[in-house]
Amino acid sequence: MRRYFAGRLLQVVPLLFGISIVVFLVIQAAPGGPEGSLLAAGRFVDPEVIESYRRRLGVDQPIYLQYLNWLGAVVRGDLGHSFATSRPVAEMIVERLPATVELMGTAFLLAAVLAIPLGLLGGLRPQSAIDLAGTGVSFLGIAMPVFWFGLLLQLIFSVKLGWLPVGGTGTVGATSLGDHLLHLVLPGLVLSTRYVAGWSRYFRGSLVGTLRADFVRTARAKGLAERAVVGTHAVRNAMIPLVSIMALNAAELFSGAVITETVFAWPGIGRLFVQAMFARDYPVLMGVLLMGALAVIVFNLVADLLYGFLDPRIRYE
Amino acid sequence: MRGRTGGQADRWAGLLATLAVMGFAGCRGADGDATAGGKRILRIAYEREIDLLNPFTSQNLVDISFSMIEGLVSTDEHNRFVPVLAKTIPTTENGLAKRNPDGTIEMTWPLHANVAWHDGVPFTSRDVCFTWRFVTSPNSETYNREQYLGIKGCDAPNDTTVVFRWDGEYAYYAGLFEAILPEHVLGGMTPEEIVRHEPYNRGAKTIGTGPFKFAEWKAGEYIRVVRNDNYWRGSEYPGIDEIVWAFIPDANTRLNALKAGRAHFGRILPTQVKEVRDVPGYRVNLINSNSVMHLDLSISTEHGRAIFADSTVRRAIFLAIDRRAIATQLMEGTVTLANSPINSGSAFFNSAVAYPGPDRQLARQLLDQAGWTVGPDSVRTKGATRLAFPLLNRAGATDRIAIAQVIQAELKAIGVAVTFETLESAAWTQRWRAGKWEAVVSAWFLPADPSLTGLYACDGANNMTGFCDPALDLLLKRSDRTLSVADRKRDLDLAQLRLSESARTLPLYYNVVPEMVSAAVGNYRGSGTNFGSFWNLYEWTLAR
Repeated sequence: MRRYFAGRLLQVVPLLFGISIVVFLVIQAAPGGPEGSLLAAGRFVDPEVIESYRRRLGVDQPIYLQYLNWLGAVVRGDLGHSFATSRPVAEMIVERLPATVELMGTAFLLAAVLAIPLGLLGGLRPQSAIDLAGTGVSFLGIAMPVFWFGLLLQLIFSVKLGWLPVGGTGTVGATSLGDHLLHLVLPGLVLSTRYVAGWSRYFRGSLVGTLRADFVRTARAKGLAERAVVGTHAVRNAMIPLVSIMALNAAELFSGAVITETVFAWPGIGRLFVQAMFARDYPVLMGVLLMGALAVIVFNLVADLLYGFLDPRIRYE
Repeated sequence: MRGRTGGQADRWAGLLATLAVMGFAGCRGADGDATAGGKRILRIAYEREIDLLNPFTSQNLVDISFSMIEGLVSTDEHNRFVPVLAKTIPTTENGLAKRNPDGTIEMTWPLHANVAWHDGVPFTSRDVCFTWRFVTSPNSETYNREQYLGIKGCDAPNDTTVVFRWDGEYAYYAGLFEAILPEHVLGGMTPEEIVRHEPYNRGAKTIGTGPFKFAEWKAGEYIRVVRNDNYWRGSEYPGIDEIVWAFIPDANTRLNALKAGRAHFGRILPTQVKEVRDVPGYRVNLINSNSVMHLDLSISTEHGRAIFADSTVRRAIFLAIDRRAIATQLMEGTVTLANSPINSGSAFFNSAVAYPGPDRQLARQLLDQAGWTVGPDSVRTKGATRLAFPLLNRAGATDRIAIAQVIQAELKAIGVAVTFETLESAAWTQRWRAGKWEAVVSAWFLPADPSLTGLYACDGANNMTGFCDPALDLLLKRSDRTLSVADRKRDLDLAQLRLSESARTLPLYYNVVPEMVSAAVGNYRGSGTNFGSFWNLYEWTLAR
């Protein structure tokens, strides 16, 4: 198993290299350049200034040279400097990461707490009233646009009732944990809805299938109590697809939730990414995308580890 | 069972009640109260996060910077230049702008005495000359550097006098030096180093002479500035202790923040105005901006030349467009009709200019006369050329796209086919600057200075249309190179008339910036220039 994971870790380097080339080319293929943001305010700009700006950023060079320069810096541990702010990209990402991890983590926890019981109830009693209700709520959660749901909650809880803040991570000047948690309620709730809906459906479907499997029938025939059959055998096996999807979603912990962060003025990676995209801030885009790719790789590895824990028959070679 | 359920319900109710109490105590009190902790805190729901605080190199409009950093001049709510660090603006009338026999101009700016930077170091005329050297450096990346290049020398005969030597007459001189940089902070650096100097760009060393001092920049969330207790205008200024500029990019969220009473000031969309007219405790101000929404036609492409080179066709197209309907119905009466790129509040606006129409009958006659006949598909043709063109749209610019749809329908009625080509913002900008388009609905954000040369002169840096009118060129360039207000007014009046007659651009309406302002805010005087409504922040007040 140790060799298996060492091998998987070694694969990360060429994988990231390949991803970086693809991402770089895709970003460069997008029309427009960073100089476009000089004109974004709709004001006059001296064309000489635009040329000087492009020269300083190095975007007047051939694409392969730009990539090699970037790669050389990355190898030395430098993700480069933002075109828009001239700040180190790594610093900008690290600055935004806690807010994203906090928001996504809250949504994750909330979703896990709600989705697993919902899926379990539906899976144990398929087509029952509670299953049908769960299915309805899940479809509603999947179908509801995040921005719309977010604005709806703002209207109810912030504008009408005045209970919760509209956005941000805290009231300026207030340092209490309560204030901070209040700011987390609406974005956390909105973001978790999507996960609850998806995860509960996955788990429910997987459990329904597992409960019909031969090994479950055998366990029952052996005279095991229903609680043991479900808890020890069925649920653990049914968790495998859920763990896969959760691991994929977990990578989002580090890449942010673009819409939720925008609607709730949450200062996370998602908003940084959107700003960088509109400004064609290539170094920031590369940094955020590479980090997201790394997170996907790492969490897939974690998921592989968990498979072995959930199903002892799985061996790593 | 019932008891258990009841217990759970009680626990949920308890949790909700706790959250509600925390909401009122911990949040609304702090957010909505203008005097939290005894301080008068102005909360602004700001529409974007700015990139840098250096007003010369920021890529955004820099009204946050102007709360800290002052210049020689600013612009007021009537689109007029007003002196700030300068005691008065030099003119030939007051004798501070002198013509030399060799054609050069000597311009003397008297400065206020006893002005200090936020760190206590005195502000002097040497700071002004330092700013001039930085701005005119090729590597300063100052967006309007070109306008400073007429200044050939800067002298500081004493601490409160600065003298610029211009190589000729430049009418736009009064709008320059909107910010002054501190020589004692940035003096030892090259322009490239200043551009990238993080302590000045991000706040740690962002100092100015303004009414507020930098306090905090929480990335992605807000910038906080605090009262400058030693402000040079006197201890009664500013009338506010702190300003929090909260970055809320989403227009709906910004609106909700204002409706929830969690911000005192915020810019909203024209389409949201109707919804908030009656929100208690707020007033909505429709600020007529120096930005004109207009339809540009271009002959910079082969197809553009084939269909728009004939001014009769352009006139017919403009005649078919009902501008009043766009202003009153589409924009719900929140905007005013424009007849010129110059703001109607400007002293240089020519009120005699008018655009006729709509008159579709006349438009059809003109196209018939020009030889464009209606084909079997109801689209006019002339030889092998169809009177059809794509309108370049920017994705997400909903107002412009809606206007484009109206234009499309109106032109269809006279046999002109319009298709849409919608591009994402940066891609749109690239195409537009490259001049690879035939028609576009767009808007410039002009400074208070009324110069139109960059937009409409044959070699204008921002004339991407391919149109070149030597007579207009002469008027525009002459209007830029005079210190006589009367001469400039005469030339610009004629230029606006000529522009209207040439039918190359159709002004639609002046963009309004609806600003929602709390009734607790006093002395707010909204301005539509690129300085924005915060030009007089020093005299704003906030009711306790």
